[in-house]
Amino acid sequence: MISPTMPPAGGRVADAPAAVIQAAALTKCYGTTVTALDALTITVGAGVTGLIGANGAGKSTLVKILLGLLEPTGGTASVLGRDCVTDGFAIRTLTGYMPEHDCLPPDVTATELVTHFGRMSGLPASAARERAADSLRHVGLYEERYRQIGTYSTGMRQRVKLAQALVGDPRLLLLDEPTNGLDPAGRTAMLELIARIGSEFGISILVASHLLGEIEQICDQVVAIDGGRLLRADTISSVTKASAVLLVEVDEGAELLQAELIRRGLTPAPFQRGLLVQLAGDETYDVIRDSVADLGLPLSRMEQRRHRIEELFRADPALAAVLPASQPTGASSGS
Amino acid sequence: MAADATGGGGQAGPAAAEGNYRAASIAGAAAQSAGNGSDTTTGRGGVIHNIGYRRYDAIRLGRPAIVRALMWHSLRSAFGLRRGAKAKIFPSLLFAIMCLPAVVNAVALATHPGGSPIISYDSYVPSIRTVVMLIFVALEAPNVVSADLRNHTLPLYFARPIRRIDYPAAKLAAFVLACLLMVEIPVLILYLGNVSQVHGTHAVFEQTLQLGPGLLYGAAWAVLLASISLLLASSTGKRVFAICAIGIPLFFSWILANVLAHVGAQSFGPQAFGQPSALTSLAGLISPFTLLGGVLRWLQAPNPGPAAALQATTVGQYGALYGAVFVLLTVAAAGGLILRYRKVGVA
Repeated sequence: MISPTMPPAGGRVADAPAAVIQAAALTKCYGTTVTALDALTITVGAGVTGLIGANGAGKSTLVKILLGLLEPTGGTASVLGRDCVTDGFAIRTLTGYMPEHDCLPPDVTATELVTHFGRMSGLPASAARERAADSLRHVGLYEERYRQIGTYSTGMRQRVKLAQALVGDPRLLLLDEPTNGLDPAGRTAMLELIARIGSEFGISILVASHLLGEIEQICDQVVAIDGGRLLRADTISSVTKASAVLLVEVDEGAELLQAELIRRGLTPAPFQRGLLVQLAGDETYDVIRDSVADLGLPLSRMEQRRHRIEELFRADPALAAVLPASQPTGASSGS
Repeated sequence: MAADATGGGGQAGPAAAEGNYRAASIAGAAAQSAGNGSDTTTGRGGVIHNIGYRRYDAIRLGRPAIVRALMWHSLRSAFGLRRGAKAKIFPSLLFAIMCLPAVVNAVALATHPGGSPIISYDSYVPSIRTVVMLIFVALEAPNVVSADLRNHTLPLYFARPIRRIDYPAAKLAAFVLACLLMVEIPVLILYLGNVSQVHGTHAVFEQTLQLGPGLLYGAAWAVLLASISLLLASSTGKRVFAICAIGIPLFFSWILANVLAHVGAQSFGPQAFGQPSALTSLAGLISPFTLLGGVLRWLQAPNPGPAAALQATTVGQYGALYGAVFVLLTVAAAGGLILRYRKVGVA
């Protein structure tokens, strides 16, 4: 009854290809009007990689092409050394996928669901049960795993989604907006979990997100795309340095403060009721503090911002330079 | 902000850290062995309270086994197994009603020895079979396919090592099997009831000879109804809509076919004496149930006598047409189901 057909996706895969994900001139058009991916060329190594882009930047499209679920209009892509178009089947054996939106039936328990999808990943029944229990424990679900998923909080459901991606012992996890809908504490816990899977479990992870500030805590490298094009691919340290921005809010006299900061050599940009200031180092805090004190302004807030990706491009001259001069950053053509 | 405190990825998440778990089997996958999941030596001897990640290096089943697993899973959901008690009420009730004539037949034969069975293996009790199967497919086909649409579970399936066609194929196989159980088990009960009351190998052999075509004809029911109802159910994720999408066309086409057949028999019957009118003969093509009835009459009696003209939904000289429409409809419904899942969005 049991037919062994596939070799275990064991260690031999991990050490074979240097690049976990490769794409060359990858293009995907929906119809004639919408270009989701526009000649995207990226190389992603092992470890945790952030895929950042605004909504509609092409993140989900890229993930689906990598899984072999969508056929690209042009270009090539490969995952773990296997071609996404011709060998999607093998890729899906080695890859766990966590979709962006809710995808769980409410009327089964987490254990039943993860066990079922373990079997769908090719595990025999007993192994699927065992690994489902393991996976649910890894994501931090214990006794509640015997409860129906419909009774779960959003955070718990996200964990179940992660567990079902993990159950088949993948070599690569594709996580699409894993912190969607979570409160700050839930986000932190989810990010710690992802970081732990990446570092301790030895599983490469591609995390798609529109929140760079979130991703930068846990990623080894970051790929930024916009309008289906590569904006920037880098290790995390260089991106983080460029992206650190302080939001300074004063109850009154924002213009005065702006002029004063410019005088002192900073580049503040008005943002909502406050100012965005590039964070060059600890001395930036001192400059702002001194400026506010000298002007006698009521400082109400000073915090390090988590960027939404568009803000990053707007505020950061280094990234703005990467953009084609003619293309305004926010106006991607995605849906 | 809270997130600032989480720079390093090395330490375990708070929620997942505690709990000492099968220390002996832990693959010591400590934090320092990042990127190397196969490091299994460090945990030897000591007790590790951290939950190490264990790689799965044992056997992986191939596509056929995965499809089989999905099929059994779907078959169970068709009968409400592994779901709440409420989900089991209708399937079991319908099954009981379906079996009732066969049980009555068995009891009647047992209490009145020498009586002859009145229920045939092929048509069984057509009205009960029609009504029960109509309700069964309308209620249970949505459980097999609509739930995954409603809960957007399909991306999880298509991200697995199966191909697009595997999902609808497994669902179809499961529901055909479910319908087969509904149709054939009563026939088998009927057979057992009959066989237990006849004497001699010849009589048993005769019963068995009749049983064969009966089972085959039951299979025709299962295949046709399962493909049509799954195709209709896959049109929507909402259970109530799916029930209506199946129940309404099946029910009203059945009524319509019967009405037209009667109209044809009354108004045109006398003119075409000895032959059923074309309307009467063709009306049965409208509904899957009368279509199945027509197929049976075509196979049973290629040349129906004048008496058949007075019955509703006789096939006349169009018997082969019934056979062709049956095959076409089944293939079209099954093909439509597969096409449906070729196009379905992945996320």
